[in-house]
Amino acid sequence: MLTTSWWKINSAVSGTSSKDMPQVIAWLNDLANRFASIFLSPIAWLPGWLSATIVGVVTGVLMLIVFKYTSHQSAIKQTHDQIKANLIALTLFKDDVRVGLRVQGRILAGAGRLLLLSLVPMLVMTIPMVLILGQLALWYQARPLRVGEEAVMTVQFVSTDEKAVNLVKLNPTDGVALSIGPVRVPTKHMVYWSIEPKQSGLHEVSVAIDDQTFTKQLAVGDGFMPVSLKRPPRQWTEMLLHPREPAFSPESSVQSIEIGFPDRDSWTAGTDAWLIYWFVISMVAAFAIKPLIGVNV
Amino acid sequence: MMVTQIRIFLAAMLLVAMLPNSALAYIGPGAGFALAGSFLAVFGAIFSAILMILSWPVRRSLRFVLRRKPPEQPRFKRVVVLGLDGLDHGLTEQLLAEGKLPNLAALRDQGDFKSLASTLPPISPVAWSSFQTGVNPGKHNIFDFLTPDERTYAPKLSSVEIRSLKKSFGFGPFRLRYGKPDVRMLRKSKPFWSYLGDYGIFNCIIRVPITFPPEKFRGVQLSAMCVPDLRGTQGTFSHYTTAKPNDVERTGGEVVRVQRKGNAVTSDLLGPPHPDDPAGGSLKLPFSVTIKGTNEALLKVNGETHVLKLGKYTDWITVRFKVGFVATAQGVCRFLLLSTEPEFCLYVTPINIDPEKPAMAIGYPKVYPIYLSKRQGSYATLGLAEDTWGLSEQVLEDEHFLQQCIDIDHERETMFFDSLEKVPEGLCVCVFDGTDRMQHMFWRYHDKEHPARPEQVSPALENAIEDLYIRMDDLVGRTMERCDSEETLLMVLSDHGFNTFRRCVDLNRWLEENGYLVVDVDRRNEQYLAGIDWSKTRAFALGLTGIFINLKDKFEQGIVESGEAVEALAAEIAERLRGLIDPENGQTAIKRAYQASRAYRGPYKGNAPDVIVGYESGYRVSWETAVGKTGQQVFSDNHKAWSGDHCVDPSVVPGVLFCNRKIETDHPRLLQIGPTILKMFGVPVPEHMDGQPFEISSERTPVTPAKSKREELEPVA
Repeated sequence: MLTTSWWKINSAVSGTSSKDMPQVIAWLNDLANRFASIFLSPIAWLPGWLSATIVGVVTGVLMLIVFKYTSHQSAIKQTHDQIKANLIALTLFKDDVRVGLRVQGRILAGAGRLLLLSLVPMLVMTIPMVLILGQLALWYQARPLRVGEEAVMTVQFVSTDEKAVNLVKLNPTDGVALSIGPVRVPTKHMVYWSIEPKQSGLHEVSVAIDDQTFTKQLAVGDGFMPVSLKRPPRQWTEMLLHPREPAFSPESSVQSIEIGFPDRDSWTAGTDAWLIYWFVISMVAAFAIKPLIGVNV
Repeated sequence: MMVTQIRIFLAAMLLVAMLPNSALAYIGPGAGFALAGSFLAVFGAIFSAILMILSWPVRRSLRFVLRRKPPEQPRFKRVVVLGLDGLDHGLTEQLLAEGKLPNLAALRDQGDFKSLASTLPPISPVAWSSFQTGVNPGKHNIFDFLTPDERTYAPKLSSVEIRSLKKSFGFGPFRLRYGKPDVRMLRKSKPFWSYLGDYGIFNCIIRVPITFPPEKFRGVQLSAMCVPDLRGTQGTFSHYTTAKPNDVERTGGEVVRVQRKGNAVTSDLLGPPHPDDPAGGSLKLPFSVTIKGTNEALLKVNGETHVLKLGKYTDWITVRFKVGFVATAQGVCRFLLLSTEPEFCLYVTPINIDPEKPAMAIGYPKVYPIYLSKRQGSYATLGLAEDTWGLSEQVLEDEHFLQQCIDIDHERETMFFDSLEKVPEGLCVCVFDGTDRMQHMFWRYHDKEHPARPEQVSPALENAIEDLYIRMDDLVGRTMERCDSEETLLMVLSDHGFNTFRRCVDLNRWLEENGYLVVDVDRRNEQYLAGIDWSKTRAFALGLTGIFINLKDKFEQGIVESGEAVEALAAEIAERLRGLIDPENGQTAIKRAYQASRAYRGPYKGNAPDVIVGYESGYRVSWETAVGKTGQQVFSDNHKAWSGDHCVDPSVVPGVLFCNRKIETDHPRLLQIGPTILKMFGVPVPEHMDGQPFEISSERTPVTPAKSKREELEPVA
């Protein structure tokens, strides 16, 4: 389950969007970007494993505290106790199979109750966790392009503007060279370019349709930098997953611009693996701290 | 507008969170634990279910092949014994005739109701020991609650010996202790459920007196009488008060004077003696109380805050005493705010051993008390759980004591009904001893002539004993509902009956007046026989049941030679005591006095008091004699709240035996119950057992029990 890639989550959560929801997400993303620019900036100069560990520990402890104050602690403790009692009962009263099955039924019911009781803290934590994971993904999900390393940039157009696919052009930029393209696919309302960075740094690549310009961040370098894979359309799920750049408005001809950044190869701070590592570390940290702050989870 | 947005957003997040594969990535660690925990539980349940179903035929076959098979066909699949300590035959019969005990009447009509002969003496440790072993006291070695130490004459518990933990290593505060206190059972002979276990029959034994320390057998057990509190005593309450010392002179517990500063009172809970320096005093746990008006206060202990309401017990509160650097001694107690004005008074129950983390084994297997604690929350573990001392010493009001007893009965009932659910085949025994404690303390309301009866009796207490019997009748009704199977034999029994205790008999004074005992007149009020001149004393009394000859071969300062002289002396004392008249009213105080050498048989009869005194109705050994004092008069009125008793002649206080089958004997005895149950399961009765099994009919008359008057207890999942 955990091996599901961060970006595969995208497909799982995509769907419903509401008229007002994107604006809320835009505000939250703005807030998260400001916080992250302060609190996550050390990732840039720390070793990946260390920063991933620190982030995991801190978020684990913070979430545990949130859990403590948003959950029905006494009900959770009681349910835990009931589950434990029933587990002990399995060892004490094992002669009668009917008694055993009844006890197991109660364990299942207890597990269900535990899930229900975790619903409220889960809901409360969903928003901050999505924002935090969105920010962490910027750092760990992909690595920046290296100088001279080619990548494909994809621009997705709105289906109602058929001319845009043919009119779009890549604006020349000092730090980035065009190697191939544009490749236009009118049936999918897409245009591709292969680009090649010439200098390290955080660049902006822009495309133009007539007098309109659309930009996309491009991270180039060797270490850790926030890498925005996609400038998203104005859909709240997409905006949550790609929080760094402002979304395109629904009226815009361009709906998204995506750059195929390479995977980062690391067990702790690499593509996909960072999420598993973060989850494990945050769990371990919270379990370790649990007795000290007296939380029933 | 914003609110709508947030609602929509939260609804969407809920949807997101409920998506199975992606949810974990979004919910964060906190909720992740809960999910992981519940998945573990689900996984554990499914795995164990599969394992159990797969292994069940194998286990069943192995049991069938390997276990010892009873030579006779079992008559019943399950036998349930509900013990109601001290339920009196005469009073039960009276209330049955008045139609006040419909469930017991239904049980009688289904099967039978008889008086049940108790033991000599008819007191709980002796009687329940005979119940469980099927032998007379000469074979199980329990003759009283207390017995004199042969070296010092000081009283000691007769059924258990506890030695404290001494093993440790380390230095200074960094000392790690290991091991458990050495607890030895002094009751001899083997309980009948051990024999059942030998034949593969499962047993669930809950709070039967004299089962501490717990013994190994096939089944589960929660110990009762003689389980100490965390301090190692048989129950020491604490009373924190701002009242002046002369206002609180006497107490069976501990009075701690506290000072009120504004609305705050601070003090310490007293725990067990420090393991490194027992003489240096007890471990302490600070607590504070902030008074919030006349009816409420906040208690802060162990970093947790609890609300105290005037006259209401708190739930069980866990208290941890630090022992050295890392170890803790953990107990549970309840607090009761008695008053805030003009004096602050706070009562704390004896600190019971925490069943969730027991400091010593209080059940078998060790995990059973923990199981109960997880299942139903904390509960009283102290042997004599109801604090009769608190009421006797007028720290508690009658209502407080009554509430304590009722709460403990509820705890017991939850355990008992769980055992009935978990043990469809085998033996279930559960003893409720609140009946005994309440009759001890409230008999003065039942006996209108009692010297301790107050002039004005609250209507709620006027029928306290009758109400108790009605409550127990209700419990029997609920039990019958759970035992309504042709394959279940249900017995409701008591170990002895009850009687009024109006007059005290000071046996030591009688011995002194009759030239058997010499005491320093200035020291006659000292406890534990301290003022006695042993060089001139031939006999003395200690405890509730009888008189010891000061034997040369037995006691450190004994003067009576063994042999015929002892027999003669015991016979002489017994003869002179028999028919002793109370000069104040001309009534006979002592019905019979028994010589132990004739009353008992077995290897331990030498440990018994040499003369066992069987009092007439209304009399009992005096409070002074019980603790080894020598008073100034033989007879005196009993003015204590402890107003009912059963330390009399066994013929005065028979117990009860109800059964859902016909009992084919006219005079059943308590020590026949064990052998009878063995026979019901087809298990041979060991030859050493004194009780002979009686016959029980297989048929029962169908009678519907009365509807329970009280609401069911909160069901526990």
